[in-house]
Amino acid sequence: MRLGIFHMGNVSLAARTFLRELKVEIVIPPPNSGTTLSLGTRYSPETACLPYKLILGNFLQDLEMGADTLIMVTSTNVACRMGFYARSMKGTLEDLGYKFEMIVPGDSERGLVNLLRFIKRRANNVSWLKLVSAFRFGLAKLSALDHLEQVVHRMRAVEKTKGTVNRLFQEAQEAIDQAGTWASLKELEKEYADRLTALPQDPQAQPLRVGVVGETFVLMDPFASRDLESELGKLGVEVRRRNFASRWLRPGVVSSGWKEEAHRAALPYLKRTVGGEGWESVGEKVLCSQDYDGMVHLLPFTCMPEIIAQNILPSVKEDIPVLTLICDEQTGKQGMLTRLEAFVDLLNRRRQRKKDESLSRC
Amino acid sequence: MRVYLGVDVGSVTTKVVALDEEEKVLAGLYLRTQGRPIETIQEGLRLIQEMLPSGVEVAGAGTTGSARYLAGVVAGADTIKNEITAHAVGALHFVPDVQTIVEIGGQDSKIIILRDGVVTDFGMNTVCAAGTGSFLDHQALRLNISIEEFGPLAIQSKTPVRIAGRCTVFAESDMVHKQQVGHSKEDILYGLCDALVRNYLNNVALGKETLPPVVFQGGVAFNVGIRRVLEEALKTPIIVPPHHECMGAIGAGLLAKEAVVGRGTSFKGFEVSQVKYRTTSFECKACANLCEIAQLSTNGNVLARWGGRCDMWERTSVKS
Repeated sequence: MRLGIFHMGNVSLAARTFLRELKVEIVIPPPNSGTTLSLGTRYSPETACLPYKLILGNFLQDLEMGADTLIMVTSTNVACRMGFYARSMKGTLEDLGYKFEMIVPGDSERGLVNLLRFIKRRANNVSWLKLVSAFRFGLAKLSALDHLEQVVHRMRAVEKTKGTVNRLFQEAQEAIDQAGTWASLKELEKEYADRLTALPQDPQAQPLRVGVVGETFVLMDPFASRDLESELGKLGVEVRRRNFASRWLRPGVVSSGWKEEAHRAALPYLKRTVGGEGWESVGEKVLCSQDYDGMVHLLPFTCMPEIIAQNILPSVKEDIPVLTLICDEQTGKQGMLTRLEAFVDLLNRRRQRKKDESLSRC
Repeated sequence: MRVYLGVDVGSVTTKVVALDEEEKVLAGLYLRTQGRPIETIQEGLRLIQEMLPSGVEVAGAGTTGSARYLAGVVAGADTIKNEITAHAVGALHFVPDVQTIVEIGGQDSKIIILRDGVVTDFGMNTVCAAGTGSFLDHQALRLNISIEEFGPLAIQSKTPVRIAGRCTVFAESDMVHKQQVGHSKEDILYGLCDALVRNYLNNVALGKETLPPVVFQGGVAFNVGIRRVLEEALKTPIIVPPHHECMGAIGAGLLAKEAVVGRGTSFKGFEVSQVKYRTTSFECKACANLCEIAQLSTNGNVLARWGGRCDMWERTSVKS
């Protein structure tokens, strides 16, 4: 078996480790780029969302590179059309004449267990012990990267020379990808966290705090979001994100604490799941409005759950500005930057005004 | 005499204004960009110099608009600001108690909400241009009338028709059908104004509190048809300030005046209109992203580079 994977930020790196540990032969497509996107767009329904197009682009490259098995995640709740994506992609690829098998772990309630069982069979029936330890190691890498990314979000806003943090983070990603033992992983995580926090800082920086919410794929994949978080960092903004893959990939009890918290907070405005992360987006505005100066709401074009959230967000009584950005292969980056700049200007002036008000009150 | 220049380079038009020390508009220009922003900026600077009395000293320059960085490098700007901030600053100058700004330009439409003279929220068109000037431009072309005739003809309408206006493609086919059924040109034009305002309010102004006084600016504010529909939809009188089409440039000029306090200007002088600029682009092969990098140079010296996902090229241009 040669297993083809797709890219989604740090998640693909972790999956790579997990499969390598099991000695499963894997195919890694080139990083997401304009080529991936145009390839995916060419064979996608026109109104499919950006994640669909990117994943399909990855799959096409996988198959060209000799993959014979593909994994496509899906949602078990049917509120979003993502539940149909695996079947639709399978049909498209088969029509193009590719021979392959597609695993759809989310097809039943026990998605993760099914996936592991499948991989166990294909990895020469390794013991459950070995399988679980490989999975945990992959997850540990993901946690390490997600942790470092949080440090990156903080440091980008205050670094003295813009771009240093990004380069260091890239170095960290490569090093962590290579890490072979738990001990070296722990060491690398600590080393890079220390190096990142020790970078020279701009003494004048007073970063704004902006929460980033929205659909998971575009949130986690920098290519899909046109490097939104990095651009915010360049503008001197500290990004806050609560949705990290390592938080929801943990099986069992600890998995969705933050989600439930967001759901409870959203209840006065939205009483049920609408698919995707619509429920969480609304919840986070309610929960975090004290912490954030503003929020950026990201969604792929035609994403129904987030459109529902977008319409609810202005009516939430907690009053912080929300900038909605829609990602699509047609999105121009310059237009996005203009909106971000204006948004940051707005937040700065709001903060200045609050300061003035509190001064005049004394 | 000291003047402050504001340059707003938009997708369709370029605006250049000169303000005096009292922040009064001395001269203003409204040019078509025609897809050649650099030549248009140079042309604009040359023309504005001719309009100003000889011997004026440019004390500061600011740029805004979608080509603000390009314009900033070419002119040597003291401040480079996004359109939203510039438009808000401009509008506040003429209507200090403004609470809502409706700004419809060629490619972008925005709503800016202000309270007590501070921007508190804004919205901008997201995925389409069906609420912007180019929508009207397209349909005027289709109906074979000039954009100047559009508004006056539209308000002669007696029985407006409803045009499907989600995007120009829908509008165009619906419009052809309406023509074929025999509706008058005036009624169709009014229907188009209505479609634009409907799109604007449903997309850009969604969920925003549009309190009076409402200021309407941007090129589309010339159109009396749109003004009337907007007044009816918002149920409040609409203020169209003087120089409404140059408001972004005025804002940029005011921001420049603020920016040069306590230091000199970096304005390169009106001579820049004589300089030959060259723009080239190439695909960066340093990594798998294959970004398209644009560069601006003169006499073989690279002035600026744009467009990479990382800051590799921006850094090298600083060095050289």
